[in-house]
Amino acid sequence: MPLRARVALLAGWLLVLALLGLWVTKHLQVGSDLRSFMPAPTTPDQRLLMEQVGEGPGSRLLLLAISGRDEATLAKLSQALAGKLKADPRYAQVLNGSFDLTALDPKLLPYRYLLSPTLDSHALDATFLADELQQRLEDLGSPAASLFKGLLPRDPTLEVLKLAQRWAPARSPQIRDGVWFSPQGEALLLVQTLAPGFDPDAQQEAIAGIEQTLHALPGGRDAELVVSGPGYFSVVASTQTREQADWIGRISTIGFIALLLLAYRSIGSLLLAALPVASGALAGIAALTVIYPQVHGITLAFGFTLLGVAQEYPIRVLSHRRAGEDAVASVRDLWPLLLTAIASACIAYLAFYASGVNGLKQLAVFTIVGLLAAGFSTRYLLPYLLPVRVRDVAALPWLKRLRTAVDALPRPRWVPWAVAVLIVALLALGRGPFWQNDLAALTPLPTDLLLRDARLREALGAPDVRYLLVLEAATPEAVLALSEKLEPKVDALVAGKAVDAIELPSRYLPSAATQRARQQKLPDRATLEQALAQATDGLPFRRDLFAPFVADVETARSLPPLTPQAFAASPLGQRLAAMLVERDGHWVGLGTVSGVHDAAALATLAQGSGGTVRVLDLKGAAESLVIAYRTRILQALLVATLLLVLTISLALRSLRRAWHVLAPMTLATFLVLAVERVAGVQVSLFHLVALILAGGLGLHYALFFERDTGDAAEQRRTLHATLVCVLSALLVFGMLAWATIPVLRAIGLTVSLGVAFHFCLSILMAPHAQAGHAAEE
Amino acid sequence: MLIGQLGRPAPARTAFAEARFMQVLDRPLVVSGELAWLGGDTLVRHVTRPHEETARIADGKVTQQREGKGERSFSLERAPQLKVLVDSFVALLGGDPRRLRQAFAIARRGDATGAWTLTLTPRELEVARTVATIRIDGQGKEARCMWMQEADGDVAIDLLGSLAAKMPAEPTRESLAALCKGA
Repeated sequence: MPLRARVALLAGWLLVLALLGLWVTKHLQVGSDLRSFMPAPTTPDQRLLMEQVGEGPGSRLLLLAISGRDEATLAKLSQALAGKLKADPRYAQVLNGSFDLTALDPKLLPYRYLLSPTLDSHALDATFLADELQQRLEDLGSPAASLFKGLLPRDPTLEVLKLAQRWAPARSPQIRDGVWFSPQGEALLLVQTLAPGFDPDAQQEAIAGIEQTLHALPGGRDAELVVSGPGYFSVVASTQTREQADWIGRISTIGFIALLLLAYRSIGSLLLAALPVASGALAGIAALTVIYPQVHGITLAFGFTLLGVAQEYPIRVLSHRRAGEDAVASVRDLWPLLLTAIASACIAYLAFYASGVNGLKQLAVFTIVGLLAAGFSTRYLLPYLLPVRVRDVAALPWLKRLRTAVDALPRPRWVPWAVAVLIVALLALGRGPFWQNDLAALTPLPTDLLLRDARLREALGAPDVRYLLVLEAATPEAVLALSEKLEPKVDALVAGKAVDAIELPSRYLPSAATQRARQQKLPDRATLEQALAQATDGLPFRRDLFAPFVADVETARSLPPLTPQAFAASPLGQRLAAMLVERDGHWVGLGTVSGVHDAAALATLAQGSGGTVRVLDLKGAAESLVIAYRTRILQALLVATLLLVLTISLALRSLRRAWHVLAPMTLATFLVLAVERVAGVQVSLFHLVALILAGGLGLHYALFFERDTGDAAEQRRTLHATLVCVLSALLVFGMLAWATIPVLRAIGLTVSLGVAFHFCLSILMAPHAQAGHAAEE
Repeated sequence: MLIGQLGRPAPARTAFAEARFMQVLDRPLVVSGELAWLGGDTLVRHVTRPHEETARIADGKVTQQREGKGERSFSLERAPQLKVLVDSFVALLGGDPRRLRQAFAIARRGDATGAWTLTLTPRELEVARTVATIRIDGQGKEARCMWMQEADGDVAIDLLGSLAAKMPAEPTRESLAALCKGA
């Protein structure tokens, strides 16, 4: 090809890449909801789990601990912070242990007679009022007078305080200086965000808001803030994953470049060899941008890693260049095999698509499009640009010696059988469960964070994230009625110490029927005034002092019952809204459970409810979700394997040759499983994904080693290409194995082991090496 | 120095009779009993009439126990009058003028007969929002009365020691002021 044409081709290619890059940066929307990397739910419990994980009241709860100052200052900071956050629309609820008289919206104040249980056991008659007023008089003479003085005219029976007590968390930490303190002397707060728990970006903003508010307070500059909870975890997980992936990616890239320079001694070749992978990456992202409204950040991070396979294509081309031969001719020779490799890798990655997990589907689209783009540009664009004069690697003395040594390796026919026996023995030796079903094990979180969370959760009496009481009914009203019916049973469980506390939706809002029943008991103005006159007789209260009380009762008599929708406008209504959700035309009430001591007793709540009340074990649901997900991946793998056998057999036109390619690959895959099992690694979904990737790489090695060209020089080139590929894969995934994040480590370790085993087994089981070697000599 | 002279060794006990003049009430509320300083920041206010009630103030917390009712406790921060009471009482009984000056701005007036008046104005803004001033009337080495003027106009007047027995059945601010002056 003339120089001018080559320059034009290169310029054209670069231009297309630049335009694609420009378009992608303009249209790409990167999302961060971690749930799209979790399996898709199928049962109602699993669906509830996913909703809970993302948006449930438990998942939006942040636990705060302020320390680093003396106790009095911490208490003041806690009060000031709570005050500021309550006024901030990003936070639905803020609790710090102080009595919150403003919990009830002033506009809703007359509703207190419909919300408080007082009227269930008493009437607002002269006897009751006389007793209450006598108590208020004693309160006025007590040191606590200032607490009650303001409330007295409007609320002589202190319904507001009864409601505040009812709405306070059931199990509270120690109160010092008026606010919650941990045994370690930190001021504790509970904050519920409006943002869903598993949206790291929104959570990060909410957490940053808390930090800024605290540090802007007088004396808050040096206070230390510790945050915990699902929202914080999602922030940590996403930043850590991003940071580590970036960090590892940078080092791998440098190592990779050094390796290629060493292997090919040509900067020009190196730069050109980068073009197919760059094309693949851009084409992959462009495809994602077209198909999906939002692309997950993790898809991109993992996708770039997986696309490392595509770097094999130009490497094969570079290693297989013959002295004096046109690059185009070299590629033409290589193409059938390369095409088989590309097709097989695409088929293997198709298993990701069948997993049904949105993030993995995106990963499949990205890698398949990327591989195709990289493969075809390697075939149809790259060869025309490569320098004509090259160094034939087949002439390298060390490679000759290495090839001779490799060929001299004994290759007894029993190797596969010995390996198979070894695999069975190792698998049998392994102790403990084979599969990792715990969804938490997939959440990349350091243990000290989890321990800290457990400590704060214990200190704050915050609900467990594990159990959930699920009430189902046709309308919100029916859910509240069901919840009320459950209250005596729940009280009995708490009294029997089976659980520490259960928070039901009816704790915040009684059903309309109950509200109406209470309303019926409210006396009319004349009756109340008469009862009041009788009750205050002989007491020193100012005449007409209780006019606001009489007015409120009169108002309460004609109020429409408070609905969840109307209640939602107040801060506590937000809390209720999170516990009362609509799903598929019916309503679900969610009761949070704290401190489960007897799970069996808790399960009795569901008895006799006809399925309207269920105790949901989120851990159980999560595990069933993982099992379902794994089954799907395994099925997909089975289909992928069949397709692979078919593809390879068709491509090689021989079952025997297909066996020589597929046997080492299969054995190596199982060997990785067996070794990890003996090492005590429980197999998670990420291990499976990593095995698929390693299988794809191993397939390349086996395919190329199996190729019988009858040419010793070509065999040396194959060895060279495979060595470069293996080293680069070990470099990239060996780096990942150093990551502290379990997911990255699982992938890195599995792929590194896999690449090593695939390489060794494909060499040892290559059928014709001795024949080729003999021909050369 | 006067404040130093008022000090007593702990535990110090004194009878008290308190009349509270409040806007919500037609006539003052009168309770009586004993105030005890047990050393440190621990104060016990034991009411015997017209009902039994014990309030114990210790470690920044108030624990209230009433006849036939359960215990109730709340933080001192929520009851500024009590905080003021502790600050002034403990400082006075402990003979600790420095602590008194830390919490209050102090004005002192005395006459030749040995009668004196201390007026304490809380320095902390939040406390001052509820308690405007504390006034202590005394004679010689003895505090006789304590006036707690709240910001909303309510006032609590405590007759201390031997004067406690002289609480009239229907006290007025004027009659109590006269008692305190030793008339």
